Amino acid sequence: MAWPRAIIHVDMDAFYASVEQRDRPELAGKPVIVGGHPTRGVVLAASYEVRPFGVRSAIPMARALKLAPQAIVVAPRFEAYVEASEAVFAVFETVTPLIEPLSLDEAFLDVSASQGLFGEPGAIAASLRDRIWEQTRLPSSAGIASVKFVAKIASDFAKPNGQKEVPPGEERAFLAPLPVSRLWGVGPKTEGQLKGLGLGTIGDVADKEEAWLSRKLGPLGRHLFELSHGRDERAVIPDRAAKSVGARDTFDEDVVGQDALSPHVHSQALRVARRLRKAGRKARVVHLALTYGDFTALTRQATLSEPTDDGQTLYRAALGLLGKLDLSRPVRLTGVSAHGLDGEAPQFELFDRKAPSKTERLNAALDRIAEKFGSKALSPADVLGDQEDEARAELRGRLGVRKHDAQD
Amino acid sequence: MEFRIATDELKKALHRAQGIVERKATMPILSNVLLTATKGGVSVTAFDLDIGVVSEHPAEVAKTGSLTLSAKTLLDIVSLLPEAGLTLKKLPNNYAELTCGNAHYKIVGMAPEEFPKLPKEDTANLVKISGSTLLEMIKKTQYAISTDETRYVLNGVFFEPREGGKVRMVATDGHRLALVERELVGDFKLKGGVIIPRKGLFELKRLLDEAPDAECQLGFAENSAVFKKPGLVMVMRLIDGQFPEYQRVIPKEGEKQLLVSRARVADALKRIALLSAEKSSAVRVSLSENLLRITANNPDLGEAKDDLDVAYRGASLTVGFNAKYLLDVLGALDGDEVTLELGDEHSPGVLHTPGDRSYTAVIMPMRVP
Repeated sequence: MAWPRAIIHVDMDAFYASVEQRDRPELAGKPVIVGGHPTRGVVLAASYEVRPFGVRSAIPMARALKLAPQAIVVAPRFEAYVEASEAVFAVFETVTPLIEPLSLDEAFLDVSASQGLFGEPGAIAASLRDRIWEQTRLPSSAGIASVKFVAKIASDFAKPNGQKEVPPGEERAFLAPLPVSRLWGVGPKTEGQLKGLGLGTIGDVADKEEAWLSRKLGPLGRHLFELSHGRDERAVIPDRAAKSVGARDTFDEDVVGQDALSPHVHSQALRVARRLRKAGRKARVVHLALTYGDFTALTRQATLSEPTDDGQTLYRAALGLLGKLDLSRPVRLTGVSAHGLDGEAPQFELFDRKAPSKTERLNAALDRIAEKFGSKALSPADVLGDQEDEARAELRGRLGVRKHDAQD
Repeated sequence: MEFRIATDELKKALHRAQGIVERKATMPILSNVLLTATKGGVSVTAFDLDIGVVSEHPAEVAKTGSLTLSAKTLLDIVSLLPEAGLTLKKLPNNYAELTCGNAHYKIVGMAPEEFPKLPKEDTANLVKISGSTLLEMIKKTQYAISTDETRYVLNGVFFEPREGGKVRMVATDGHRLALVERELVGDFKLKGGVIIPRKGLFELKRLLDEAPDAECQLGFAENSAVFKKPGLVMVMRLIDGQFPEYQRVIPKEGEKQLLVSRARVADALKRIALLSAEKSSAVRVSLSENLLRITANNPDLGEAKDDLDVAYRGASLTVGFNAKYLLDVLGALDGDEVTLELGDEHSPGVLHTPGDRSYTAVIMPMRVP
């Protein structure tokens, strides 16, 4: 029987490392780390052979090599990943137009309306993974559920090279034994807070009254209550239909003061601008989102005099907004997003109306460098120190995808 | 001034004036027509400082003289008069008395001396032309004229005499271009080409439409164009500026060529564009072996697709276009079949009659997500 709503989360297994192992047979079955600078860079991908040693993506390279000195370190080849990614997304497109990319190697697919043509969601996922393998020789895993959040967790369960289905009605049972840290929006801090309340598993949260959770946790309480029951109304939003483009980062440790915050905001503005340019769109409104350590969340917005896809322009606007906020308190998250996007499909010009401005040429050059060498190749000086959360976010930026965000 | 004229004659003159008189006139007198009675008849002049039309009509003139009256008021009156003839008489203080049967009007006018003088047209080198050819050329190009006033050199049609007694007319709005070349033999004494403004061209078209086969003359003087046909003179100021180098943007013969049925493609475009993004009418045109597919989608409305069988063997291609631009061309082309030439998704599409590039339309694609 067809599911009323069917979402598949497909995630490639150790994507970059798998691409390297595929293209260099001598690496097959070996512990492989794809990463940049050996002392200052971060791990971009770790093959399954090196994971038992505790190496995973986004940890510093230095630490990874201490954990697994025998690992073979390979420099990233972004073109190869982009190429593989395109082949993977081409397979996605054969079953549904509703594809929400999360990064080069990961996407949500809404296949609710595809069941009539292609069968049950589980069968669709199996066929997708088969065809991905046929086309790219890369392993992938899939989670199948009626909501995004559960599909995402299910794909983690299925790894590597498997799939896990959570049929409608079984969400709560599936989630119950999992630690609360698996809930979207629960970082180490909230996790500690929940543990303090005696809530160690998602089932513990689900057993509580919503009112009780709200009293203890504020708005987050209601959100966690819904998730713990496997309820997640968020739709799969294809990028072309997105009404806004944003980048936000939750910091590992709270950040205090404008000087410490502005590089993050700068990096976010640049990522947003790159995505805008990639989508061929311009934004008229800039939003700055900020969440304090105590989870008080603020958003401020500014309207630009003319639509832009330039990162520095977005940054100046966001910085203006940041300056008006109380920055003496610890901040756990900042985000920049672009709204008021010009939705018209742009018409090409017959005559070159005017030479592109200096900024446009600069941005085009930066985009080409990022395309070729990865977007870490060239960064404004203040953004350089912002590497930790950049690594994955960058890759998202390259594809022009949204970051999931529990608070939205 | 006093004359008796057929109601229909005056109505015809006022219809001609209609498109020219300024509605929201900065100068009130530009809302008026100038009526001049001479021994030979009555002339009705409308002028907006750029375009002027003098329309001559037979009348029994009892007393010569001139007067200006509101073009709109006079047309409204004339349209509802009870009888086939009327008399018009100038009264003191620029009043006019209009009598038709038992209907009687006293109309406020303005002094004829205040009516601005039309540009001199007697220096123009007039060339006898075929009105129907000129009309065809206008119809085939006018839709591509830009309405963006910041690009004023594109607010008209480029009129360019070529060798061999031919004239080329080119219009573009920067997104699409229409070029037509036809025989209009005669020496226009022009160096290069001139730009005829949109409004003047539309008026010219209306005048030609009245009687396309009437004997016509066209000529150019200093900074204006002159058009004459029996009982009518039209003068208009040309657009002063450099028309872009249009030849540069007309592609050489495209590698992906196909023959399509004009009516079928137009019908498909109309039905698919219903679901295109608002305002832009963006559609996707996909070409693969023996198949032309037109698709559109709008996040708020849904999606649509239509397939046409075509004779095509070549590389597949998908390119976005504004459906309205394609339809404008398909509407202006003659014949049942049309040649469509495509490059890639960034290159212009070209349409023309099979085997005949004397009328060529070039359309830039759009980025359709």
